[in-house]
Amino acid sequence: MKEQIQEILEEARNSIPSCGSDKDLEELRIKYLGKKSSLSDLLSKIGTVPKEERPQMGALLNTVKNEIAQLIEQKKSVLQEKEDSARAQGLDVTMPGRPLPIGAKHPLYQIWEEIEDIFINLGFEVAEGPEIESEYYNFDALNTPSWHPARNPQDTFYLKGGMLLRTQTSPMQIRVMEKFKPPIKIISTGRCYRVDKVDPSHLPVFHQVEALMVDEGITMSDLKGALDSFVKRIFSADTHSRFRPHFFPFTEPSAEIDILCISCNGEGCKLCKNSGWLEMGGAGMVDPAVLEEVGYDPEKYTGYAFGLGIERIAMLRYGISDIRKLITNDLRILSQFQ
Amino acid sequence: MKISYNWLKELVPTQMEINEFCAKLTMFGLEVEEVIQPGKELEHIVIGKVISVEQHPNADKLSLCRVDVGEEEPLSIICGAPNVVKDILVPVAKIGAKLGDFKIKKVMLRGVESFGMICSESELGISDDHSGIMIIGQNFEPGAPFADAMGMNDHIIEVEVTPNRPDLLGMIGVAREVAVMLDTDYTPSEITFEESDVKTESEISVIIEDAEKCPRYCARMIKGITVQPSPAWMQRKLIASGLRPINNIVDTTNYVLLEYGHPLHAFDYAKIKDNTIVVRTAKDKEKMMLLDDNELTLHSDNLLIADKKHPLALAGIMGGLDSSINDTTKDVVIECAYFDPRNIRASALEYGLQTESSYRFERGMDPNGLVEVIDRAAQLMQLTGGGEILSGIVDCYPYQITPKILPLRVSRTNSILNANMSADEVEKYLNNFEFSTKKTTQDSFEVTIPTFRPDIEREIDIIEELARCYGYNNVESHFWINRIDNKQKRTVVRLAKNHLISLGFFEVNNMSFASTDDLDTLKIPNDDYRRNLVELANPMGEQFSIMRSTLIPDLLRNAGLNLSYKFENFKLFELNRIYLKEGEDAYAEPTYLTGVIVGEFEPFYWKEKRGVTSFYDVKGVVESVFSKVHCMKNITFKLSHQPYYKKDSAADIFLEDKKIGSCGIMKDEILHSFDIEASVMMFDINMSNIIPLYNEKEIHFEEIVKYPPVLRDIAVIAPSQIEVETIEQSIKSVDPNIIQDIQLFDLYTGKQVKQGCRSLAFNITFQSKTSTLTDKYVDKLFDNIVSKLSREHQIELRQE
Repeated sequence: MKEQIQEILEEARNSIPSCGSDKDLEELRIKYLGKKSSLSDLLSKIGTVPKEERPQMGALLNTVKNEIAQLIEQKKSVLQEKEDSARAQGLDVTMPGRPLPIGAKHPLYQIWEEIEDIFINLGFEVAEGPEIESEYYNFDALNTPSWHPARNPQDTFYLKGGMLLRTQTSPMQIRVMEKFKPPIKIISTGRCYRVDKVDPSHLPVFHQVEALMVDEGITMSDLKGALDSFVKRIFSADTHSRFRPHFFPFTEPSAEIDILCISCNGEGCKLCKNSGWLEMGGAGMVDPAVLEEVGYDPEKYTGYAFGLGIERIAMLRYGISDIRKLITNDLRILSQFQ
Repeated sequence: MKISYNWLKELVPTQMEINEFCAKLTMFGLEVEEVIQPGKELEHIVIGKVISVEQHPNADKLSLCRVDVGEEEPLSIICGAPNVVKDILVPVAKIGAKLGDFKIKKVMLRGVESFGMICSESELGISDDHSGIMIIGQNFEPGAPFADAMGMNDHIIEVEVTPNRPDLLGMIGVAREVAVMLDTDYTPSEITFEESDVKTESEISVIIEDAEKCPRYCARMIKGITVQPSPAWMQRKLIASGLRPINNIVDTTNYVLLEYGHPLHAFDYAKIKDNTIVVRTAKDKEKMMLLDDNELTLHSDNLLIADKKHPLALAGIMGGLDSSINDTTKDVVIECAYFDPRNIRASALEYGLQTESSYRFERGMDPNGLVEVIDRAAQLMQLTGGGEILSGIVDCYPYQITPKILPLRVSRTNSILNANMSADEVEKYLNNFEFSTKKTTQDSFEVTIPTFRPDIEREIDIIEELARCYGYNNVESHFWINRIDNKQKRTVVRLAKNHLISLGFFEVNNMSFASTDDLDTLKIPNDDYRRNLVELANPMGEQFSIMRSTLIPDLLRNAGLNLSYKFENFKLFELNRIYLKEGEDAYAEPTYLTGVIVGEFEPFYWKEKRGVTSFYDVKGVVESVFSKVHCMKNITFKLSHQPYYKKDSAADIFLEDKKIGSCGIMKDEILHSFDIEASVMMFDINMSNIIPLYNEKEIHFEEIVKYPPVLRDIAVIAPSQIEVETIEQSIKSVDPNIIQDIQLFDLYTGKQVKQGCRSLAFNITFQSKTSTLTDKYVDKLFDNIVSKLSREHQIELRQE
């Protein structure tokens, strides 16, 4: 009998609060508390319970009855209240509120701002420079040999008249160092240009962030530390990076930076073309020839520089596999970045 | 710690001006909190010579004195003191002098005039003595300023001594520090006296029972001393340092405390039972009565100075009442000891007894300076009270505390300070601090730290001392922020972008290439700045042959594309550079903010009828952007004739006199060329002109005007050709200080308004910053506005 009573209570506890109208509630009241209810039925059968359990069973029946009555009363007042105010206001809370617009920053510029903020927090200053550059700043001062293929019109956009569109943000290194004495701790960000056919992984117009630090006693450890701090913040705390020997005219030693694939964690997947690593950009210790060019004593000062593609970082962060998505300006894409 | 500058000058040769000295001291690490000039309060108080004393005709207890104060005529002064007699020198407060809050004036006393006051010591704040007037023993010229004559023209420098520097709690320590600071020498007073034939140790013996709590105890004795007031010079120095003179013995211990920073105690020899001093810990529940009449119940952690039977003093904190010096004292035992700082601190804290003595002992005194201190005390006691100094010191020093020897590297010092000190320089500084040095290599020393410097425990502590000598302000600043950073541009760009986004705009990103066809499509004339093209020598195709000189075509293309995806109402902007050729190899890359509003401005809302989008919507966007970057006040709008806008539907935007952009409704025919069938409004702003104006620090809080504003509406019929701005300026000019705000709230043209006119209604806010405006005054201004509008613009008040 005890189990039966508990069962009834459980059922009432579920059904009463979820009931939606006065009429349904009245039906439930008759069901649980009416003369023909199962509780009344059980009460009439109390004589069948062994004598010593009878008072206990009677008390249980009463408590349950009271609780159900209370549940019904509570529900009644809730229903009443709802009806009163809704009727007065003619309110339908499911109708849409006043649509206040929210736009979105372009995903590329969102990442750009985030990158700037990370480096600002690391104590870097942000320098901006011209996109239309001279060959001197883009190549010569950066120790690029005259035979270097990057100088070819197949790779670099030239303007009528001989100036060019910067192929990297590195010319700002020279402009800043020409003007200021060490310590230098800057990033330069902005648009760069290279003659590249538009395809899923190339655009002729792209964005770079370049970091430069020059002071006494700057070592390759400082370079790795700055880069690690950055990749761990922009991706996640367990992002690993590695340096691969490479050649850049303006750094010595030079390296390419890889991070452990953020999609497969190095296992090998489509994103990293099964290599387990993702290429992020170039880095190195500033070539003494570059320091000398701007009038720094390369025996006294050392420095590091690294450059990263902002499109690349945005694509990895958002899982965009085709770089062209970043210039289509399709609202179906942009509205995902609210 | 109070430092008398005069006293300091006796120890260190300096004539430095007080402010300069204090600035230097602060920069050396001894922070000056306050400088007091006690002599300043004694202005108009001079030395006077009493020439004659007569009985006051109307008062028994008053004397009528004539006092020479160095002026032509002696002053006539009435004096009530019993000790005024002829021919003495006295301090005279002349008319105008201030004694505390009391100002000396000419007064009439019982029918006789008095021109000043002869002062007692207590009236001058020198001592508590108010038994009679002060009689000056030395010889001075009448009229000499009293403060000068008494050596009271002093500066009392209150310095904050950090808790690690107990050695600076005495004048000698300060002099040593100042000598280092000024790179000079200091000379403590010479200690010489004659000892009698009787040996101290034959009269008194010392037993240390707890050598950990008391590593050293010295005692000396003077027999046959006279207890009397100490001499004026000693009293003056005590007062200057904030201590009250009592008698020559107590004053001497206090004086030596001030001088050497080391606490001393004097016992009455007669009260030491069995001629033995025992340094021991208290028995549990042992009771003792202190000098301040406080009875303590002690326990075994408390260190006592006792005789064989009773406690004499709570060690290093306070003497006991029973053994204290009084007028009958003949023989004095001087105690000079070194106690464990931790024990003193614990006991002082436990009984709430913070004394000059405990304050010093708990910071750590110099265990090896005791002999000098006790000899100085003996010398001064004899000087002030006579008697014979017994021969020798009873010196109990069970465990020798030896100076620390620390290694110091010059290179390490230089690398921490980024300095370039030579080893010789470093050595000189260390020796100035009385740290003795032994050169171990070219780069390093063994430095012996005197025991008066318990704060120096490691190499880095020595480096700190050297840094102070080198000068914190001589350390080169190595800092790289705020030279290059483009914060201003970054801030303006982000403010503008974020603002537009909150208005529902989406940012787009287009490549920098374009073709001249776009400019033709927009009908941009040949002499327009956008025709100063940057042409590529090796473009990737004809449509990419130039660098874009305007962002408009790309935004229209973006709009057309999204319309083709069935978006109807949307807003886009781009904030990027355009590229202009300015001459041979000279190019400009200004940053532009260009946006389009396609279709309806307001998002669709079931509650309201679809609004009619108008020029004022795009103007509102532009105005809010300018407000956000704080330059709205410099912006004006004038009708635009740009070829791509609908006629009479656009404005050019001016920053002062410079055209920096435009906004308005695009011509359908242009839109068709970009496959756009919807209505498009556009704005195009050169941000490079705005960015340099932004100053985030220009916002300053202004106190809220506490006088209430008065609001009035004015409705007028104005000829249509008169612009609202003109009307507003005209209204404002009636009283620019009172008319704070003018808001257009209604515009009507129609049947009720005559041809060529429009009805305009403005809400005007009147408010004064200095008073509550009366209705009458506002009425008058209102009338002035009406007549001015009528007179200047033929604008009439609307008749209801």
